[in-house]
Amino acid sequence: MSDLSEHKSDSQRVILKVSDLTHKVSLETDTLTILQGVSLEINRGESVAIVGRSGSGKTTLLGLLAGLDTPSEGTVELDGAVISQLSEDERAKLRSRRVGFVFQSFQLLPALTALENVMLPLELGGFDSPDKKARDLLERVGLGERLSHTPRQLSGGEQQRVAIARAFASEPAILFADEPTGNLDNHTGAEVSDLLMTLNREQGTTLVMVTHDERLAARCARHFNIEAGILTEPSVSEQPEAVN
Amino acid sequence: MGASKKLTSVKRDWRERDVRVVLSALIIAVATVATIALFASQLQRTLVSSASSFLAADRQLEAENGRPVPEAWMQEAEQRGLETGRMIEFSTMVYGADNFQLVSIKAVNDAYPLRGQVEYQEGLDAPRQTVSHGPGPGEVWLNPRLLRLLELEVGDTLEVGNHELSISGLLVREPDGGFRMSSLAPRVMMHVDDVEATEVIQEGSRVEYVYLFAGDESALNDYYRWLQPQLEPSHEWEGVRDGETFSESLERAERFLLLGGSLAVMLAAVAVAVASRQYALSQRDTVALLKTLGVSSKGIGRLYIRRLALWGIAGAIGGLLVALPLYWLLSSVLGDVLERQIDYQLDPNALVPALLTALVSLFAFAYPPIRRLRNVPAMRVLRSQPGESGREAIPDLIIAVVAIFGLVWMYAREVSLVLSLLGGLVLLLGTLGLLGWLLVSTLRRISGGGNAWRLALVGLYRHRRASLSQIAVFAMTLMLAATLILVRTSLLSDWQAQLPEDTPNHFLINIAPQAVDEVDEFWAERGYPLEQLYPMVRGRLTELNGQPVKEAVTKEERVGALNRELNLTWMDTLPEDNEIVAGEWFTRGQTDGVSIEAELAGKLGVKVGDELGFTIGSDKVTETVTSIRTVQWDSMKPNFYMAFPPGGGLDDMPATWITAFFLPPDMKGKLNEFSRQFPTVSVLEIDHVIERIQEIVRQVTQAIEAILALILAAALVVMAAVVSATMQDRQREGALLRTLGGRQSLLVRSTMLEFALLGFFAGILGVAAAEGAVWALQFRMFEGEFRWHWQAILPIPLLSALVLAMFGRWQLKPVLSVSPMLLLRRLE
Repeated sequence: MSDLSEHKSDSQRVILKVSDLTHKVSLETDTLTILQGVSLEINRGESVAIVGRSGSGKTTLLGLLAGLDTPSEGTVELDGAVISQLSEDERAKLRSRRVGFVFQSFQLLPALTALENVMLPLELGGFDSPDKKARDLLERVGLGERLSHTPRQLSGGEQQRVAIARAFASEPAILFADEPTGNLDNHTGAEVSDLLMTLNREQGTTLVMVTHDERLAARCARHFNIEAGILTEPSVSEQPEAVN
Repeated sequence: MGASKKLTSVKRDWRERDVRVVLSALIIAVATVATIALFASQLQRTLVSSASSFLAADRQLEAENGRPVPEAWMQEAEQRGLETGRMIEFSTMVYGADNFQLVSIKAVNDAYPLRGQVEYQEGLDAPRQTVSHGPGPGEVWLNPRLLRLLELEVGDTLEVGNHELSISGLLVREPDGGFRMSSLAPRVMMHVDDVEATEVIQEGSRVEYVYLFAGDESALNDYYRWLQPQLEPSHEWEGVRDGETFSESLERAERFLLLGGSLAVMLAAVAVAVASRQYALSQRDTVALLKTLGVSSKGIGRLYIRRLALWGIAGAIGGLLVALPLYWLLSSVLGDVLERQIDYQLDPNALVPALLTALVSLFAFAYPPIRRLRNVPAMRVLRSQPGESGREAIPDLIIAVVAIFGLVWMYAREVSLVLSLLGGLVLLLGTLGLLGWLLVSTLRRISGGGNAWRLALVGLYRHRRASLSQIAVFAMTLMLAATLILVRTSLLSDWQAQLPEDTPNHFLINIAPQAVDEVDEFWAERGYPLEQLYPMVRGRLTELNGQPVKEAVTKEERVGALNRELNLTWMDTLPEDNEIVAGEWFTRGQTDGVSIEAELAGKLGVKVGDELGFTIGSDKVTETVTSIRTVQWDSMKPNFYMAFPPGGGLDDMPATWITAFFLPPDMKGKLNEFSRQFPTVSVLEIDHVIERIQEIVRQVTQAIEAILALILAAALVVMAAVVSATMQDRQREGALLRTLGGRQSLLVRSTMLEFALLGFFAGILGVAAAEGAVWALQFRMFEGEFRWHWQAILPIPLLSALVLAMFGRWQLKPVLSVSPMLLLRRLE
């Protein structure tokens, strides 16, 4: 790990800071603790994998980190803003400017074409020339010929590439990926993860990915484990070498 | 087009099934309401003008005192922009070359008729023509029978009083040829300018001056307000609605149209509500994604409001595009039936309810579930969230019920209609609650599923919430459709019962007492037996409880019947279609008392026990009211305001007899034979009147059928909306069942059975609720008698079971036609 950013101030260096985060869900009879005492700091430009089995709480954690939900206790500071202090609409605004997403189930709008799906965040964020930018990005992910196809006309791998183009379109500071290859076969999954890592590196985006796939996790520079709602970070010697 | 703009594009929305259903429902709602409203206003205009033609005008003023009205009255009417016409009616003898005959003359001016048309022939074998004028000066038109009686031909001369007129045509039908006692004798029509030259009208002659008015309804009413204070008791102002012949049928038809429109609104509202809720559910993922991409709750709200607004516009335009050709079609059918030109008129007042329906449907039924989309958590993109509980939809239901009844109220303005339908719905929901409880407690015990019955029952139990809400919607749809069908059936059968094929179409009047048996025999021998014969005495009602009747009754309640001689009769048995509403009918041997017609009694404020004084010739008769009875004025049989017991107050009075009978058109010739044998008996031909009424009944019937078809289309859309709501789940289950090795036939049978059961329960509930609503409606709105509709109780549930089973089979199609693998992937 480099100490590149030592000369920057802490808030400039750290893009995501989580302190003592606990999340509980009320059930009919009792309360279920999904996350307990999670703390972590992620620096700008880092790629981080959070690895855990189904039900370990990793998706909940991702939602809280990205500001899709607010924690029961503790704070999440995303790009200098304390998420739990923001209203839902302020959180939405923060996401539109600073955050990108890639989902396991692609989450493309079925009625829009590939091009329109990529243009959507650009238009919503008020970016200039969304059309050109979206075309370039689709070209970049290898779908320059499929601009006018709707998700139904695309394969799973193609859909995820559109989703990746959409995620990078607004040049987010941080990108959250939830099992991005979970719905794809090995070969396609590998292609998609290559693309994700390459774009991430090119744009200098911070990547936070949750997965149960050790091989995918191994491609990230930092590595957290989550089990029964408790997050642990292996010592430096145990961190994987980032695989390109 | 930008992606975010495209999110609100109607064209793109159309690709989504739920949007298609919402839009179809909206289009049908707007189309139905607009068609009904446009057509109802057309029908109203046409019927009023058909009915107006019975007066040959919109209003008539009759002067029965033998004196013309002041010229200033007519000038005032013309100044007010009204069309006017003049007629003089009187009876006199006319002379041919060898014969003479008592006739009833109608002398008309050039403006006659202001409404309707005159039908005439240029010779006995010439074709009939309809024209908008009477004979010119110097000419005369004769009833064809009269021509034969006088043994004359067209072109001959007819002597009327001291004047000779040339017979230029045969009068087949005059628009205002109703019942007028002065017109019992065969008709002769001439020009009013020739009347003076005949010198027939002398001081004290029995002559009626009749004035015709036509024009704008408000101008007519204003004129009447001006005229009313100057009218004398012998003046009678007559409007279409006063005619007793078929105003009741008209009102019922109007109410039926309103009922149909209201039901269409309700059905469409249900369809819009069901489809929008389903649409809202399907939009949750999109909303979560948009939120993730940074759209605020307000932004989501705006996005969907814009969408709703676009749907509203698309629905309104689409609805009107459907409504206009339909309206045109219905109206031209109407025109064909009436053989007259229809003036198409897009009444803006008729379009308002249609657009309001679209607006209310969208904002009261579609908006609430869509509004809640703002609350969908963004977290849903990562993990599906618990769905909506039924509780959140309760305010929607309340808003919807209030809005539905608000719409119906706005549309029909009939409290009884709103209450009947609401009552039916409450009954339905109550029964449904009970059924739900039964369903849950009995079906719970069934488990597993090797055969179709079991699978179907398990299916019902597993989807119990959906099943119950489907039953609710189906039952409601069926209730509304069944209500309409039942009301229609009883309305039509009432009408048909009222005017059957062999409705008496000829009256014989003025039969001398000693000729009664001979007349009866004459027609019986020829196979056209007479109806009941009644004695008839002409007299005026002059006193009420010892007071002159015109003082006893306030001016506002002035009643036409007081101004003319009434036909009084005596009879021992109550006519079949009369009904006693107060007091008692005469007992055998009773000779005192009088029975009065209910409506007249109401207007005069007469109760059982009051004393009525009659002036008959120079005699006075006083009797106590012993009963009040209703009369079917439109039965085309002799009807009487006053009936005395045999041997009672009328015992010694000079009476003639009256009767009615049916004579087919091709037997008209027998009338000449009859008239020669009984020259003093007057024959009143009302076959044309009956034809007109039957024609109107036919056209109203057609309108009703067309509206019923629209309603059934609305009902089908509701069904489609509901079935499509659960389609995806069912398809997924079907695909899974097939994947797990379920045979196609098992799947088909169990699904069809499940839907058939749903349909059967819904059918029973719907019919029961419809019976309740019809009972209330019949009672309050249509004044008919309620009958159980046994013939509908079984067929409707069976039919609905069948239709739903077919629906279920149809929706299974995609499950059966593609591989389960493909289907599961598609349904991801």
